[in-house]
Amino acid sequence: MTALPHTAVNPDQLLYPYWAEITQIKPETEGVGSIWLRFEDPAIRESYRFLPGQFNMLYLPGYGEAAISISSDPQDTKGMVGHTIRFVGNVTKAISRLKAGDVIGLRGPFGSAWPMDEIEGRDVVIASGGIGLAPLRPAIYHILHNRQKYGKVLLIYGARTPKDLLYPYEYEQWRAGGIDVQITVDRADETWDGQVGVVPMLFYRFRLDHQKSVVLTCGPEIMIRFVIYEGLARRIPAERIYVSLERNMKCGQGSCGHCQIGPYFICKDGPVFRFDALEKFFNVEEY
Amino acid sequence: MLNNPTINSTISLPKTEFDTLLAALRELGYQTIGPRVRDESIIYTHIEKLSDLPQGYTSKQGPATFRLVKSNHRRYFDVIPGAQSWKQFLFPPRTHLFTVEKVERWDIQPNAEKPPRYAFIGVRGCELAAIEIQDRAFLRADFHDPVYRARREGLFILAVNCLHPAGTCFCASMGTGPKVQGGYDLCLTELEDTFLIEIGSELGRDVISRCQYEPASGFLQSAAAKGLERAAGDMGRHLSLDDLPSLLTDNLELEHWDEVGKRCLSCANCTQVCPTCFCWDATDHTDLLAHSTRRERVWDSCFNPQYSYVFGGNTRPTIKSRYRQWLTHKLGAWKEQYDTFGCTGCGRCITWCPVGIDLTEEIAALRKEAQA
Amino acid sequence: MAADPEVVSALKNIPWFAELKPEHFNRMAEAATMRHVRAGEELFKEGDKEDCFYVVIEGRVALDIFVPHRGKVRIYTAEPMDLIGWSVATPVVRHRTASATVVQAGRLVGFEAEKIRQMSEEDHDFGYIFMRRIANIIAGRLMVTRLQLLDMFAEPNAETRHAQ
Ligand SMILES: Cc1cc2nc3c(=O)[nH]c(=O)nc-3n(C[C@H](O)[C@H](O)[C@H](O)COP(=O)(O)OP(=O)(O)OC[C@H]3O[C@@H](n4cnc5c(N)ncnc54)[C@H](O)[C@@H]3O)c2cc1C
Ligand code: SF4
Ligand code: SF4
Repeated sequence: MTALPHTAVNPDQLLYPYWAEITQIKPETEGVGSIWLRFEDPAIRESYRFLPGQFNMLYLPGYGEAAISISSDPQDTKGMVGHTIRFVGNVTKAISRLKAGDVIGLRGPFGSAWPMDEIEGRDVVIASGGIGLAPLRPAIYHILHNRQKYGKVLLIYGARTPKDLLYPYEYEQWRAGGIDVQITVDRADETWDGQVGVVPMLFYRFRLDHQKSVVLTCGPEIMIRFVIYEGLARRIPAERIYVSLERNMKCGQGSCGHCQIGPYFICKDGPVFRFDALEKFFNVEEY
Repeated sequence: MLNNPTINSTISLPKTEFDTLLAALRELGYQTIGPRVRDESIIYTHIEKLSDLPQGYTSKQGPATFRLVKSNHRRYFDVIPGAQSWKQFLFPPRTHLFTVEKVERWDIQPNAEKPPRYAFIGVRGCELAAIEIQDRAFLRADFHDPVYRARREGLFILAVNCLHPAGTCFCASMGTGPKVQGGYDLCLTELEDTFLIEIGSELGRDVISRCQYEPASGFLQSAAAKGLERAAGDMGRHLSLDDLPSLLTDNLELEHWDEVGKRCLSCANCTQVCPTCFCWDATDHTDLLAHSTRRERVWDSCFNPQYSYVFGGNTRPTIKSRYRQWLTHKLGAWKEQYDTFGCTGCGRCITWCPVGIDLTEEIAALRKEAQA
Repeated sequence: MAADPEVVSALKNIPWFAELKPEHFNRMAEAATMRHVRAGEELFKEGDKEDCFYVVIEGRVALDIFVPHRGKVRIYTAEPMDLIGWSVATPVVRHRTASATVVQAGRLVGFEAEKIRQMSEEDHDFGYIFMRRIANIIAGRLMVTRLQLLDMFAEPNAETRHAQ
């Protein structure tokens, strides 16, 4: 069976999964966990590569597939791929009941990536909320590995409460690597001495050089919308704002039709879009 | 009888010889599929001989109306087909993809069935155009659908020029008919006593060479040409394409969307009958002991509530938003995606919509509002 | 009364103050005092009536509302250059509607609200610029509050999930 180089996608069989063993399940926050997968086929383990922002389709026989972003380091795979999953429904809840050693199907990687090369030399603002940090973490790792290629890097990350913050154990490392990590929560109790507010709000706490800045954003669509308003209000042009979107999807290959928005298939033309491509319909209700 | 039919030439095949043609195709390993009367409509199914075809019928079609009419003519291909299209053979409504068995580990067995080889008998211009539109969706440079490809590559097409369009037809507006535009092995025009046949491929030439055919006289050829000219003027409907696709893609917030949203039932009939609609879903069927799972690909529709469901809600919760998605895709975004419209003017969605929503009229109403 | 030089240099670093006419800047600085605050210190409490507002220079101040059975709910934090207690800019709101607690030690500039209100009345040019600033802050807070109200990270309830 022929696999395209670097991918676990079979061009001759529709939806054909490649088996991977769960090497580790790591609880992250309430209802969210990371799973690490290792392909059973050593050839794929060797050749599989992905770019920050891409996703896999994870398959559990009997339950179905779910699109899940890759949340691990693209450079340092050691034959393993990490995903951070919010256990919400049929497939994802079934995944939450698996344990290390269990096997799961995987197809991928699919979709467009964060424009890590094009944005070299720029100030980078990463604005994310909730589980939306997962698809941005590979971009963060990429920046840490290539820190000198970027200007100022500001990560604004928000979650509902302090308990819902993803990857808190890595923030210090990111800061040490030269990223200004700003954390905020929607609400807290009096033991929280961090920031309370929402992600878009943090935009006006920082002076952004609109000539130099790019924005990468992922999170609840409503948050993305407000981040875009704030970015545009700070005169960062739509061509320098990148968003990652989520829609129902079944194939990941621009065939099943589900994920369309205007002329785009989010699974192949996205999930990462330059905002000027979306501007025309992003605010059309229910489009 | 001539010895050497050539590609692009036209011959005359006496109707009595048609069964030889069908037999030749079966000999070559094809299943011969064509129109047949069933349950007061026309379906596409296996045919063996000319007499299986709906001789002497026509169909009366209008919004939400299909009526098979038996008249006294003796022709076989005068009836404009029913709800079914050839799509169901190339892109089956349900396909078994693979089965996963849990032994120690997951063990996967792809569906090993040999893909069927079909000979389609009686493909109209709009229908052939629809197949070519689906080719663009399923056979892209960066992705091909293996199920579709296997069937499409083994396909034989006997096309038919339309001489009697129905009330919901507008293929002339879409440039897909009534004369077939190419892409066939053989293309037939039905005259009173004979079939005029243009040979479109080497395979078609081979099949014809196995039959007792005759030269096509100039008289017959001009009779066919006249018939086609008349048919082009006989379209039940018309659609102006001048301002498409931008009329739709630039006017997503017209009030008329609400208006049509109130009439549409979101029943998905239009997408099921449309020969170009290609959306699908994947489902798993597990045996009771959960040892074996059968994975299938099934037709889906942008009118299904589940279609755009994401955790926490639905990106298109209203019927208005679904109808808008459907129409702005067909005659809007499709153009940018595949460099063609997603509509061939076959009229099925008009005929089979239970409330008679007519896209040519909806476009006209949208245009009127946009220009106001 | 001459302005405190520490206040003057702190305010000069804040763009909005730096852009004021010298005369307006001086009068505002004269109505201000510098406060050095420690973590845990309470600036004001819900229901208090003291009449001033603060600009954070360094540190972080949290606004809490007490909810019976839930304790204090932290609804907002003010960072350097942010302003708290802005409701005293209007002549009607008198009670504090939230409590303010310092969570990271720092410095705040406190303004006597009565003096600023008077200045605004006497000099509408100044009043306009001041109120415009306040309007900006209110707009920002309102945006934050709305987004919090939407509870965008919450588990959607069964109703919205299955609404077709
Ligand atoms: C490009 C992309 C990247 C994603 N990355 C992540 C990630 O890193 N971590 C994570 O936790 N989630 C991610 N999601 C969301 C994740 O795909 C859904 O939460 C998941 O499909 C829900 O499946 P389910 O069967 O558990 O839920 P159910 O609610 O039972 O869903 C049933 C079906 O609806 C569809 N569906 C439901 N919710 C979504 C959704 N939000 N997006 C797309 N389809 C949906 C799926 O087809 C699913 O099979 C991503 C989605 C996309 C499109
Ligand atoms: S949209 Fe309607 S008229 Fe056009 S091809 Fe589909 S069914 Fe036929
Ligand atoms: S347009 Fe007609 S056929 Fe299509 S979903 Fe609506 S009611 Fe059904």
